[in-house]
Amino acid sequence: MNRLHPLSAVVYALQYGFVWLWIPVFLVVVLSGVFDPIRAAWMPLFALAGLAFGLVYGVAYYYRFGYQVTEDTFDVASGVFARRSREIPYGRIQNVDIRQGVVQRLIGLAIVSIETAGGGDTEASLNFVSEAEATRLQNEIRRRTAGAKNRRRRRTERPMADTPDDEADLIGPRRPPEMRRDDAMSDPDLESLGPGTGAGDSVAHWETPTETFAEPRRQRLFDLDSRELLLYSFTSFRPAAVAAVLFIFFLATDTIVEFFLTVAQPVGGPADLETGTTGSYGVLTIVSLINGIVITYLLSVAYTFATYYDFRLGRIDEDFVYERGLLQRYSGSVPSEKVQSVTVTDNPAQRLIGYAGLWVETAGYGPDSNGGSQSAVPLARRDRVYSFTENLTDVETPAFRSPPTLARRRYLVRYGLVAAGIVAVAFGFTQVTIFDRWYLAAIVFAAVPVAAHLRYVNLEYYVGDEHLVIRRGFWRRRTTIIPYYRIQTVSTRRSIFQRRLGLASLIVDTASSQSFSWTAPTIYDVDLEDARDVHQTSRNRLQSALRERADADDHGLSVDFT
Amino acid sequence: MESLHPRIRLLWIGQGVITAAVFGVVLAAVDQWLLEVPTAALAAVVGLVFVLGAAYAIRLYQVWQFELQPDALYLERGVITFVETAVPFVRVQHVDTQFGPIERALGLSSVVVYTAGSRNADVRIPGLPPNRARELQDTLRELAVESEADDAV
Repeated sequence: MNRLHPLSAVVYALQYGFVWLWIPVFLVVVLSGVFDPIRAAWMPLFALAGLAFGLVYGVAYYYRFGYQVTEDTFDVASGVFARRSREIPYGRIQNVDIRQGVVQRLIGLAIVSIETAGGGDTEASLNFVSEAEATRLQNEIRRRTAGAKNRRRRRTERPMADTPDDEADLIGPRRPPEMRRDDAMSDPDLESLGPGTGAGDSVAHWETPTETFAEPRRQRLFDLDSRELLLYSFTSFRPAAVAAVLFIFFLATDTIVEFFLTVAQPVGGPADLETGTTGSYGVLTIVSLINGIVITYLLSVAYTFATYYDFRLGRIDEDFVYERGLLQRYSGSVPSEKVQSVTVTDNPAQRLIGYAGLWVETAGYGPDSNGGSQSAVPLARRDRVYSFTENLTDVETPAFRSPPTLARRRYLVRYGLVAAGIVAVAFGFTQVTIFDRWYLAAIVFAAVPVAAHLRYVNLEYYVGDEHLVIRRGFWRRRTTIIPYYRIQTVSTRRSIFQRRLGLASLIVDTASSQSFSWTAPTIYDVDLEDARDVHQTSRNRLQSALRERADADDHGLSVDFT
Repeated sequence: MESLHPRIRLLWIGQGVITAAVFGVVLAAVDQWLLEVPTAALAAVVGLVFVLGAAYAIRLYQVWQFELQPDALYLERGVITFVETAVPFVRVQHVDTQFGPIERALGLSSVVVYTAGSRNADVRIPGLPPNRARELQDTLRELAVESEADDAV
């Protein structure tokens, strides 16, 4: 095991010394307030003891920290009281960074960070080592990583071991299979392609020739036209708009209150805030509330419009490239090789007019606020979105299965409890204000069965040959298509209540950054046997997909986008 | 299926004791500043939290199991929510063995398996004898190095 540079010991000692100086101070202050025997006068003594402990701990940390380049892993062992020994296989190392601050450059030190895939912290961070050692490590690890990657056969191409069945769209018209590969939504008019429409020669194949030295040709896949842009802006709501409105309100409170008063006056609002009756104040409240909602909504519309103005999606070789934005032009690319899962989203308004959007999840964390998920098609006619999805992933048309109706009972109880909570809050409210008809709040119970039913009918899943399709959510329904090949872990969860009913939820984790929601794609509340069945199927198909990809090398098959 | 080392129960019961102590300190603070809390009630709450914690620890030990299957590491655990997780070897990013001071005193280690999944999906197997933890780490490392994936994620 190698040690860090001796100067690190000094740095660690100072760092920990400073931290441990304050911990006892804080504890003494808090505890002396609670327990009488502890006195605040002990503070300096404790602080010194803490400092001494921190200094010793820092030095000990240095002596107990070791790293080593071994045959097939990079090992790091650290910790004084709590030990951690970590082994990182070279094949999993993504990059090795060397960082140097100004001071470190003067004294010839560097921080080496080793990253593997997946978000979160740096997997191994060596601060500090000497510059020479940093360079040596970087070269050594790079050499071994390359060696590990060479040992695994390099695969830049992926198999296409599936034959797309010609069950055409989920909802849209049926099309012959050869059509499914060339109508890539590049068609600017909104008419979806029916059978025979433009069914000329299907030369424009998705597969790029293996010759990659040619000039990369940009192929248009999708342009958001003005009608779709307007529909998208008006049918989607961004929560950020609420924050923006509140911010504006804080900046210009007086002006806004003036404005609300002026607006409310014609319909019976008070002349000013001081002189008013209960009735006129009520009118003012309602009018202002409506105003607030409308303004928030309009802001959200404007934001969406500006963000997705002139959205274009294209393909260059194996990458999807997109650009968008009115005031600030934003463009980026998504390597198709890195697409983890694809999600079709729609909200009730969009479902009503038969539109949906398509998002692509990658494992990275993009520069955009929404992490690794990029909009491939912000909004388009549902059938076109589905056909585009099928082209993108080669998923067959899902024949969805629903959870058992027993699940609906759980949602009835769950939302019933929420409603009871609302009534309880209303009751508490009447205890401290002049209002007294708390039982009016019981009207929320009317929404319970509706909510439970809507949640239930939007839960569906499909176990395909190459993909798992999971649908959930009412307000923002998400239909996620996960290739088995991209599965990271599968978990079957059963809470106490689920066990009583013999239900289980299956969580399928991929490496996508999951910016959509903080939960990984989940199949909720299916029978335990079904859940275990899907669990096992997913694992088996992940293994067979891995084998297929390994075999495909020998045949040099062309590219698809799973 | 393999179980954890029985001594892990002591560690978990210890955590229950700490939780009970925290409840005790909070109630003492309430008694000091806000309203009177009878000593009997305080003792009852602390006792109840301790008993619940101990029962939880013993039950958790009973249900905690793991095994190395041909394609994946498979774990079962959970008292309130029972979770069965499979981590395919091809998805293992790196493996740690860890032990905290209390685990060390009890002569136990944990193995932590990291994947590239969202939410930093890492899987922890606590309460293994150090040599077993070491052995499991080596096995998992070998399986991870062996198993092929053409890209890391």
